[in-house]
Amino acid sequence: MYWITVVAHLTYPIYCLTSYKPPNTETNPTLEDPTPDYMNLLGMIFSMCGLMLKLKWCAWIAVYCSFISFANSRSSEDTKQMMSSFMLSISAVVMSYLQNPQPMSPPW
Amino acid sequence: MRHLVFLLPALLLLLALPDTRGRYNDDFDDGEDIAEFDDNDFAEFEDVSEDPAVDVEKEPPPRAAPSSTPIEDDEDEATVENEDSQDEFEDADAQDQDMYSKYDNEEFEGYEKTNSPFKDTLIYREVPAHLQNSWESYYMEILMVTGLLAYIMNYIIGKNKNSRLAQAWFNSHRELLESNFALVGDDGTSKEGTSTGKLNQENEHIYNLWCSGRVCCEGMLIQLKFLKRQDLLNVLARMMRPVCDQVQVKVTLNDEDMDTFVFAVGSRKAMARLQKELQDLSEFCGDKPKSGAKYGIPESLAILSEMGEVTDGVMDNKMVHYLTTHADKIESIHFSDQFSGPKVMQEEGQPLKLPETKKTLLFTFNVPGMGNTSPKDMDSLLPLMNMVIYSIDKLKKLRLNREGKQKADRNRARVEENFLKHTHAQRQEAAQTRREEKKRAEKERIMNEEDPDRQRRLEEAAQRREQKKMEKKQMKMKQIKVKAM
Repeated sequence: MYWITVVAHLTYPIYCLTSYKPPNTETNPTLEDPTPDYMNLLGMIFSMCGLMLKLKWCAWIAVYCSFISFANSRSSEDTKQMMSSFMLSISAVVMSYLQNPQPMSPPW
Repeated sequence: MRHLVFLLPALLLLLALPDTRGRYNDDFDDGEDIAEFDDNDFAEFEDVSEDPAVDVEKEPPPRAAPSSTPIEDDEDEATVENEDSQDEFEDADAQDQDMYSKYDNEEFEGYEKTNSPFKDTLIYREVPAHLQNSWESYYMEILMVTGLLAYIMNYIIGKNKNSRLAQAWFNSHRELLESNFALVGDDGTSKEGTSTGKLNQENEHIYNLWCSGRVCCEGMLIQLKFLKRQDLLNVLARMMRPVCDQVQVKVTLNDEDMDTFVFAVGSRKAMARLQKELQDLSEFCGDKPKSGAKYGIPESLAILSEMGEVTDGVMDNKMVHYLTTHADKIESIHFSDQFSGPKVMQEEGQPLKLPETKKTLLFTFNVPGMGNTSPKDMDSLLPLMNMVIYSIDKLKKLRLNREGKQKADRNRARVEENFLKHTHAQRQEAAQTRREEKKRAEKERIMNEEDPDRQRRLEEAAQRREQKKMEKKQMKMKQIKVKAM
């Protein structure tokens, strides 16, 4: 619902003032960019892999995913979700280094 | 000192005697007496070592001339003994060696003496890297952190650049907008529209501006869709495939502000894409995009139109001038009274009504610079905004003639009929399910009724209704049959 205000003026013609209505993204999912949601989910998956399987590279990728998700996020999005994903990835990195302080070996 | 020299060999001889005795015992198994061995031993040695004994004898006597005879005897004995002892020792060593070699060979049969390579089999284990006290072994971690820092730096720089571009655009267009619209900039938070006079930031790369309060239109939404300069991955992807910033203008009109037609003009690529994607263009503009050369616009632009009359009406001199001058910046211009957005993919359970339509003007402009935009480039978009305002006013006056109107109405009726045909089966199913639901609800109501009398009455009423329906159906069937005959 949006509000219409009809303004009549002696010299100017009649015009209507309509307030802004943000587009409804539920009816039109193509308008929304899915990148931040996908990156958030990927970040959480990689964090869990890094924590459970003690893989350092998983934890590092999780940190990158949460950064990318933050960079692409909308202003209206909840910051708590972002922060929780970020904290989870940082904890995955810290835990994997506490358990095994050896440096990461490259895959080649 | 001389006494010590002569006494030492004697001592050594005394010590060596038991050993020699023992060895000779091993060698000679005859069981001869030990005393005889001793004499024979010395005899052997005496014979052998005469010359050196003579020499040695000569030496001590001149030295020990004034010394007593027992000392001389001692010296003789000593020299011989010395030699004896030396020989004994030499022999003993030789015998030892022989014995040991013999012993080895007999003792260890099949033993292959290998040059024990103890030195080669030493394995040097590497010290684990985390105990090495060197940061060099953590180079992968350092790389990761450097990457993260680079991403953060790029985020800050990209965000700032997008913000500067948006502000530059708004500063150059503010005057024009404020002169044409009463309300410029509304974020939608308050119930009644309030002019904030600022851009509404949706993202780090998308800025919105809502303008309203003008004759001929309900409102205008301007979206500044910049590139994702704040995302490093996107920046790297753009290096492979250059894209440019876009400005999208969506003008929604009131019902009386526009006649019924669909029209689009833009770059060939954009026209082909929009014809596939958008609902109204695919339904009303079925023909391929035509070249705009006929109307005097550059070859790079193509036209999609519902009918020729519309194209003639839209393409007046001023419009042609705008399109010719700014052809490189125009991505697409779309006028439609049946705009409902992109095509919705049909699934089971989809809405059975036609999508809602709105009279809309859509403009998509490309910002010059192909990604490397500077704030100064935003001024070049001002004439395009003038074109937008001009189009709004023009379409208010543009009216189709009688033939055109009839054609347009026929087109719309055709589209609606097609839609109903496609959804006929689905609508029938939906109606059937609704009827079944009703019956079930009624039956439940009758069952739940506690009073048997009331139950009977309700059942009878339901039966009568059913009978009436059946009779009606039969009548209809008869009528159809009569008509067919």
